[in-house]
Amino acid sequence: MIGSRSKGVVLWTIVWFDLLLLSLPTLIIIGASFTSGDIVQFPPEGFSLKWYSKLWLLDDFKSAFLRTLYVSIICTLVSIPAGTLAAIGLARYRIRFHTTIQVYLLLPFTIPLVASGLGMMIFFGEIRILGQLWPVGLALCIINLPFMIWAVSAAVNGLDDQLENAAANCGAPPLQAFFTVTLPGVMPGVITGALLMFILAFNEFLVSLFLTDARTVTLPVSIYNSIRSVITPDLAAVSVVYIVIAFIAVLLLDKLVGLELFLKSK
Amino acid sequence: MIKPVTQTSPLVELSNVSKRFGKVTAVDNANFSLSQGSVLTILGPSGCGKTTLLRMIAGFESPTTGNIRINGQPVQAVPPYKRSIGMVFQNLALFPHMTAGENIAYPLKMRRFSPQDIPGLVERYLDIVRLSGMGERRIQQLSGGQQQRVAIARALSFNPDLLLLDEPLSALDKKLREEMQLEFRRIQQQLGVTTINVTHDQREALVMSDEIIVMSEGAIQQIADPVSLYRQPSNRFVASFIGLTSLIRGTVEDAREGKITFRTTHTTLQGQASERFRFGETVEGAIRAEQVRISTDIKGAEGMDNILDGVVEQQIFEGDRMVYQISCPALGTAPLFVFDHDPSHHTPHAQGDRVVVSWKVRDLLVYPCQKYRVSNP
Repeated sequence: MIGSRSKGVVLWTIVWFDLLLLSLPTLIIIGASFTSGDIVQFPPEGFSLKWYSKLWLLDDFKSAFLRTLYVSIICTLVSIPAGTLAAIGLARYRIRFHTTIQVYLLLPFTIPLVASGLGMMIFFGEIRILGQLWPVGLALCIINLPFMIWAVSAAVNGLDDQLENAAANCGAPPLQAFFTVTLPGVMPGVITGALLMFILAFNEFLVSLFLTDARTVTLPVSIYNSIRSVITPDLAAVSVVYIVIAFIAVLLLDKLVGLELFLKSK
Repeated sequence: MIKPVTQTSPLVELSNVSKRFGKVTAVDNANFSLSQGSVLTILGPSGCGKTTLLRMIAGFESPTTGNIRINGQPVQAVPPYKRSIGMVFQNLALFPHMTAGENIAYPLKMRRFSPQDIPGLVERYLDIVRLSGMGERRIQQLSGGQQQRVAIARALSFNPDLLLLDEPLSALDKKLREEMQLEFRRIQQQLGVTTINVTHDQREALVMSDEIIVMSEGAIQQIADPVSLYRQPSNRFVASFIGLTSLIRGTVEDAREGKITFRTTHTTLQGQASERFRFGETVEGAIRAEQVRISTDIKGAEGMDNILDGVVEQQIFEGDRMVYQISCPALGTAPLFVFDHDPSHHTPHAQGDRVVVSWKVRDLLVYPCQKYRVSNP
């Protein structure tokens, strides 16, 4: 059994190396955010929370943060009905142009974000909504919608395909069958998708860069703008805020759906 | 609106029902009726149209042509949720986000039973399917057999006119399946609910039904009670689908009504037929494995009509019986299957042994050889 033992050693080495590589940037940025010095460095110089308190006082960052929150919420709220209905429709009903619709809905995956960003900027400009904040949420919903559809589709495909018939057989008219059987059945997928959409919108940079200006700038764009001037540890602190939000999302997912289910869904 | 159901009016009645999907004919001109309180099984190989027939009765599909009547009323325009039909689905289709009790209560809520009555009815039906006290369990916490029981209770809790079973037992292992067959029978008799069961399992059909419909390629082949179906199959398909049957092909030499003499590869055989044949017509004789006697010499074949020499090709020990596959030179390549019961009292025949096989004329049933389509009664 020497062979299997050395195989184990090799595998574990690779696993730990990968884990380290994946988490190193995060660990470094968390460390750097607690520095008491004036530049981003690792290991940090001393320990203080001064950059976090400074962050709290910086109105620019605070309002950018709130705007990002607003945009992400719009994106999530629009994507829940749109993505859920699209996924259920595509998986369950014999629709004409089924494949075409499917390809069309997944198209945002294949188009470079630069292209969609530019396109939406021109389009929003034409219909005179560029410069407002809510269209940014809409745009983020459009580019990330495939993730929502993917998450709900996985849940729909996991359901028994006779479930709606069973509901009808029990005496439920179609609408009632949808709300009492289909929707609760795919809820894990909807929650997974919604959290994913929120995080993706919260982090989105490239398309937001096209669609925002100084008055509507969102947090990722705002961070980008400040690293172009001077890199101070408050950026590391902002990054940690991001990490915390992502972590909360994962915890929520585990609480509401169970991570196991999420990881199993294809 | 409500038509009184008399003893004579059938609960379900299908007349000339056909269903086509594009160019494929799933159900071809089906006619039958089902009286109150009886159990009907639709038996056939997969893809024979039996499930389509069931789905049309449930209302999930509508017939391309023909009429379905339930309680004497045409149901063409009645959506599934307005039909008083309970169904147990092939994969059960239990609602995964509800408990066992909530599943059973669901049809009661949807059909607007009074809220005070619902808990009592749920308890009653949990009791009927022997799951008392398990109403709080989640579906995933129940075993396969328990899930079956929940599905039965859900299909019955609102006291439907008709119960449909779409091969719900096919996924279970043999022992559990046989146990559940008896359970279905017990519950059906306790409640007296009219039932249509769909299956490809001939044993299940024989055990559970008052009446059996055999289907093949969309067409009904025979409608009969289990005993008549087994004893008097109306055509070659039914004869070979139910039981272990050997088929022997030949041409008619003498075709008097009832007794047919036909020539096979190297001999002539006599058999029983219920229809007329012309001289020279190609026919197929069907003989059940339990009607053939196997012996070491001619003495064992005393009193039999057709006697042939053969060689044991294969023998399978099944515990309560031996199954022999015999090749008879006189029959050409067609194998002959023989059951021999109680093998412990005599030495079984070994592979390669020369044996004598024999049977009575009345047990060899003769059918026309061409593909058989039955005109509906």
